[in-house]
Amino acid sequence: MTSRPAHGLVLVSLTLAFSGCNGGTVDRHALTNDASTLDSIACEGALLAHDVARGRTTTYFAREQAEELRIQSSNLADALSKRPALAAIEQKVRLKAKDAAALAATLQRLHDHPSDRAVGAAVERSLKKRGGCP
Amino acid sequence: MNKVLGLALGILAAIGGFVDIGDLVFNVAAGATFGYQLMWVVVVGVIGIMVYSEMCGRVAAVSGKAVFDAVRERVGFKAALGALISSEIVNLMTLAAEIGGVAISLQLLSGLPYRWLIVLAIAGFAIVIWVTSFEWLERVFGYGGLCMLVFAVAAVKLGPDWAKVGKGFIPHVAHNNKLLYAYFAIGLLGAAMTPYEVYFYSSGGVEDRWSPKDIGLNRANAILGYTLGGFLSLALMIVGGALFLVHGISPEHLGTIALGAEQPLGQVGLLLALVGILFAVGGASIDTVFSGAYNLAQFCGWEWGRYRHPRGAPRFALTWVVLLVLALGIVMTGVDPVILTEYAVIFSVAALPLTYVPILLVANDKAYMGSYRNGRLANVLGLVYLVVIMIVALTAIPLMVLTNAGQN
Repeated sequence: MTSRPAHGLVLVSLTLAFSGCNGGTVDRHALTNDASTLDSIACEGALLAHDVARGRTTTYFAREQAEELRIQSSNLADALSKRPALAAIEQKVRLKAKDAAALAATLQRLHDHPSDRAVGAAVERSLKKRGGCP
Repeated sequence: MNKVLGLALGILAAIGGFVDIGDLVFNVAAGATFGYQLMWVVVVGVIGIMVYSEMCGRVAAVSGKAVFDAVRERVGFKAALGALISSEIVNLMTLAAEIGGVAISLQLLSGLPYRWLIVLAIAGFAIVIWVTSFEWLERVFGYGGLCMLVFAVAAVKLGPDWAKVGKGFIPHVAHNNKLLYAYFAIGLLGAAMTPYEVYFYSSGGVEDRWSPKDIGLNRANAILGYTLGGFLSLALMIVGGALFLVHGISPEHLGTIALGAEQPLGQVGLLLALVGILFAVGGASIDTVFSGAYNLAQFCGWEWGRYRHPRGAPRFALTWVVLLVLALGIVMTGVDPVILTEYAVIFSVAALPLTYVPILLVANDKAYMGSYRNGRLANVLGLVYLVVIMIVALTAIPLMVLTNAGQN
């Protein structure tokens, strides 16, 4: 039912789609996207920490979800510290890498103490400030 | 009483089929990105799946044959082969994503290692499918999935702006970020009209031995079941808009969705959400694996069906076992089930015409359906949706590329 040009279009589209992953040079657009992803991770972590602080979650859920978020921010830290960046924004990119690593470390605390209300409250404050969350 | 029990098929199809991992991901992400602006797309998708499921169920009730049987007979080998290949690829991707979702839900509930839980989930499904009757599969997963209703309670407790929610039902185009809006609209339609749903639905009708006297039951199943599924989809989108958009969160994990119930309802909300997701995604895994086995068996003319013991339909049984093993191989590579879901949904959109065109042709065939062929309303709706399907099929993959799969 599909023609050869249609097959070709699908193949090109697939190649482009799969190549659009976290590689290549960091430009302003990519930096903005990565920065908003970090803010999103921080705000989600803050919500989770809020529930830990109030005993409204389970230990397993808090631990596993904090770990997922930590891995995500850690991967971003790794990518932002290693990927080539436009000269004009290289310093900002490396700074953002440090922010991401700090975020990962904060989430690690939540992962290590998923039922400690005091840690939950401290992590919530730290993540809210870091992500500029409401 | 039998009719009441018969409605379980619709509930299973709705919770386990309509609200699957694709709906969870796309509805919450759409809410977190565009608030309530895409509510109308869910309604369009729900009506579409109702229209085509009703046709499939009617074909099954009148002819005693499921969709692929009829497709093979009426549209010829080449067209049917194209439909088979595309549906099997999308089915396998979806199955892998659903099983990954089951393992994640179990991990969030138990804290056990993810990869162990993948193996446990696959082994559990194989045993459950082998020893359990079709009726019990329907009941256990259909009713377990009703825990998802916690998202409706969460949506209300989060106190959304109901005026904005109401406006979301009016079809419109976003003022900014139009490409991303279109990508989400297509993803929502694709998630609502996933091909495996209709294949499973019609084969389920044959398994339940529907006859022309069950056409009313079929209509009730399609309307009630998918309305319930659509209601849950809307609740998920409201949670996305009222919680995640407000907090600047872009949900990228299945656990984030459960957080949407935990925030307003605490531990009880969290546990109900996780159990609901587990049953919904688990039910969808069963729908998908059966759908893959049904399609191949019906295309090849093998004996098929859960009402036969595996010894009575060995090639059908072997097919679902092989599909489970292939899905195990895919998930064990460590691929992210959420990303896999997004690709599966978009590719299924591209393949939609191969599923829905033959259904419309068969349901409208006087020689095949006699006096039960499509009426005027079914034909008008079927044709309108066919145009919609063609448009979204042509634009799905380019939009995925242009928006970097929704990452913009």
